[in-house]
Amino acid sequence: MVKHLGEWCRRTVRRGLSMAIFGVLVSVLLGACATAPISAPTGNADSNADSNSADATAAVDTSVSAYADWDAVLAAADGATVNWFMWGGSDVINTHVDLRVGAPLLADYNITLNRVPIENTADAVNRVLNEKAAGREQGGAIDLIWINGENFHTLKQADLLYGPFTELLPNSALVDWEDPAVAFDFGVAVDGYESPWASFQFVMEYNADAVGDAPPQTWEDLRAWILANPGRFTYPAPPNHVGSAFVRQLFYWAAGDVTPFLGPFDEALYAEVAPQVWAYLNEIKPALWREGQTYPELAVMADLLANGEIDFAMEYDAARASNYINQGLYPPTIRTYVFTTGTVANVSYVAIPFNAANPAAAMVVANYLLSPDYQATMSRPDELGWMVAIDPARLSAEEQAVLEAVAQGPATLAPQTLRDAALPELAAEWVAIMNADWEENVLTAP
Amino acid sequence: MSRRVSRPVRMTRRVLVGALIGGAVLLPLLPLLIWPFAHGWFFPDLLPQTWTLRTWRYLISPSARIGEALFNSLAIAASVVSLAALVGLPAARVLARAHLRGKSLIEWLFLAPLIVPGLVVAMGIHILFIRYGLADTHIGVILVHLIPALPYFVLIMGSVFANYSIELEETARTLGAGALRVFWHITLPAIAPGLTVAALFTFLVSWSQYITTVLIGGGKVITLPMLLFPFISAANHPQAAAVSLIFLAPAFVVLAFTARVLAGRPAVLGGLGRI
Amino acid sequence: MKGSHSPRAALLRALRSPYWWLAPAVLLLLILFVGGLGVGFAQSLNYFPLIGLNSPSLRAYTAILTDRGFWAALGLTLYIALTSTVAATALALGTAVALRANHRLNRWLTFIYQIPLPVPHLVAAAGIAMLLTQSGLAARVLYATGALERPDQFPALIFDRAHVGVILAYTWKEVPFIGLVILAVLKGVGQEYEEIAQTLGASAWQRFRYVLLPLLVPGIVATTVIVFAFLFGSFEIPLLLGQRYPGTLPVAAWRAYIDPDLARRPEAMAMGMIVTVIVVALLAVYRRLVRRAW
Repeated sequence: MVKHLGEWCRRTVRRGLSMAIFGVLVSVLLGACATAPISAPTGNADSNADSNSADATAAVDTSVSAYADWDAVLAAADGATVNWFMWGGSDVINTHVDLRVGAPLLADYNITLNRVPIENTADAVNRVLNEKAAGREQGGAIDLIWINGENFHTLKQADLLYGPFTELLPNSALVDWEDPAVAFDFGVAVDGYESPWASFQFVMEYNADAVGDAPPQTWEDLRAWILANPGRFTYPAPPNHVGSAFVRQLFYWAAGDVTPFLGPFDEALYAEVAPQVWAYLNEIKPALWREGQTYPELAVMADLLANGEIDFAMEYDAARASNYINQGLYPPTIRTYVFTTGTVANVSYVAIPFNAANPAAAMVVANYLLSPDYQATMSRPDELGWMVAIDPARLSAEEQAVLEAVAQGPATLAPQTLRDAALPELAAEWVAIMNADWEENVLTAP
Repeated sequence: MSRRVSRPVRMTRRVLVGALIGGAVLLPLLPLLIWPFAHGWFFPDLLPQTWTLRTWRYLISPSARIGEALFNSLAIAASVVSLAALVGLPAARVLARAHLRGKSLIEWLFLAPLIVPGLVVAMGIHILFIRYGLADTHIGVILVHLIPALPYFVLIMGSVFANYSIELEETARTLGAGALRVFWHITLPAIAPGLTVAALFTFLVSWSQYITTVLIGGGKVITLPMLLFPFISAANHPQAAAVSLIFLAPAFVVLAFTARVLAGRPAVLGGLGRI
Repeated sequence: MKGSHSPRAALLRALRSPYWWLAPAVLLLLILFVGGLGVGFAQSLNYFPLIGLNSPSLRAYTAILTDRGFWAALGLTLYIALTSTVAATALALGTAVALRANHRLNRWLTFIYQIPLPVPHLVAAAGIAMLLTQSGLAARVLYATGALERPDQFPALIFDRAHVGVILAYTWKEVPFIGLVILAVLKGVGQEYEEIAQTLGASAWQRFRYVLLPLLVPGIVATTVIVFAFLFGSFEIPLLLGQRYPGTLPVAAWRAYIDPDLARRPEAMAMGMIVTVIVVALLAVYRRLVRRAW
């Protein structure tokens, strides 16, 4: 029996080795077949069928400096297709972009907007990284990305963004670039490499039936509520952006002040404040949903709230609750609130990858998104209900009136309430450390 | 255990077993039938508060891209089956009958892709596909689907050919028929049932591919599972259920077609759990 | 025969060789499958000049082998695959025995029994989630019967540490597969031998224990091995129904692959290689058990 086994092992090892050698040979062959880096787009005839000017851009300089003025951009953009990679998980957003962005673009500028739904913005970032690694310097698959925060930081740091281009956009004048909340994306200077789309603010969603009219509006009150109501609260695990924001705000609370966090990473401050944050989170942990042994994904948390498994949720999109009530995904008793000490606000942008096939058309899209008409449409509760990214003070009187007249959805707070409570985001370098330490100090702690 | 069980007891036992098996199989599919028509269906309601066609209206709208996804899924799966049949039929015939040197190694080559996760192979080959312009193309996706689909087709057809009597062909040949006529009039009709089943199940293998399409298709080639996945992970039950129903349709067509044959040749046609 | 040794005849003979029939398929698989694995292996060793990786090292392997998360993921994957396979085999045995008798109800049942086979994993995950979350359909039925009042009284089967939801989904998918294999034996060879045993006076239990079981064991073991191997490498269901941390090994590999930190790419490949080795080893065991590959 043993001899039998030994014989079998020998044979198997021999076969395994021959297969491995085969594999190595084949891959060496494949690798040897392409030693030179590509300068022009290869195989783009079939690979970019819908980005139609791939061949044209091979010969044309599409860098920002190539466009003397906005008219030159418009001319280059005429008839082009823009592949806009954005999160596709909301049918409301999908329909809105197709109807309120895509249709006008086609009608007014002859640009075809190809909205590519992705699961996660990181997928698009990955895509650009892969293309760079594979030597695809032009005719990339992505023309525009809905992006902010760490993803922007990753691309900007790696020099993988097209631009700086916002100077070229006429509507860029409507943006208050002096406002640090706009000019800095998680502490990373925008520097013209991304153009704003909408403003977002962290809100807490809650079930008014279960929690009552006076939800806990301070972090201390929240802790007390959680401990008194075990199993009814949870938060998404970092590095989810909302969960990460939840943890970040605890750092603000523990330090008592936001300003120290706006600069580069401060080791001393972090060492002083972090233990208090972990203490808070570990204290509420046993009283969380599933006793804090697992943390839900963002969308699952919404489902839990809808079905009464928990009483709170949280989101960056202050209008999500109203949208969900409309869609029948939330019962009508859901409302939102912010903490008295404020909640973080940030801006979502669109950016253009370095190797975009149609950067001119992408710029036209970015410009359109900043137009007063579109921003007003976007902020309507029956559309997206998102907060505008442009500065109302820079609009004409009529345009301002239009914006003011927009009502809010049933669960959305008034824009002034949100603005008053807005806190700035801290620099991206803090975020990575906080996320990693959360895993170590809270998730895997006993 | 006595064989002399009374008839009513026997009937009750059968019905009970039937209910258990039927229930276990059908229960997970039940919510998929209700959610697409539900609006505001929360715990503890057994049935939705409001019935609506809103979900279907969104799916029909161009924003949902169902048409495009359906077309891509169908076209890609059909191409995969055709290609698999083209190179797989001769391969299966040879493997089933001929005595070859290194046959064992070749069998490994046809079995391994069924078991090694497609994700691993796709991750490895992804960067090369980008390099050679195969990424984001239908052709690239078809090729990556072929990795599990081709061996699967060959596996099924191998068993068909193994049970196939070659005497008929030889008889026809001694009677003077050319190779093509032999194939068309003798071989094809004989393997037709098995070929149909193989084609249908290979179709399902390609139809059900998710992560490989995501990776190689890069979001440009949109198939049905790629529309489905975000809805499931976003806990958007109405959309997830509706797209699931559309996604399931071919599966049930295949099942109806092949159920009787399946009972005869289970292991191979069970798909090695591949689907 | 005259001229049968001429070069032309030799060429014709070579062209008629069966290897030509195999060539396209083999070539395709060699390039795509073996090539893909090979390139993945090279990347896991951090050596792939094509994309600028020029320093072969075992860094990726040491990184993951010293990572607590990797071992947790490996353990979880083994646990899920093993539990699902055992549960599926047990249930398959029971149901196949029940479905063996040949009457009309059973013929319908056998058809229904096969339904999970062509259902894609994504749909199975969706259905199981809608059924078994604490506010899912099952919980609501229990509420209607008065068995519970709040969702948290329903057991946590989805996103739980024991990954019960994942195991149930896998079991649902695999029971018909294993069951049909068993059924084929029971209805075929099993029938004959059983009848002989019956005429010799064996009781039902003796027939099962000494006739059917030995006939079934080889088929069951082989099928179990292949099911285990497949579940081990499976991806979608744990991604959708499992806990975020640590995740099964294929899920962890995917997460590492899409991480913007490119340094994690070789680690993703390394995890993929480890999964491949385990799964191929199981395949070797399977082939040993099933002497005829086809």
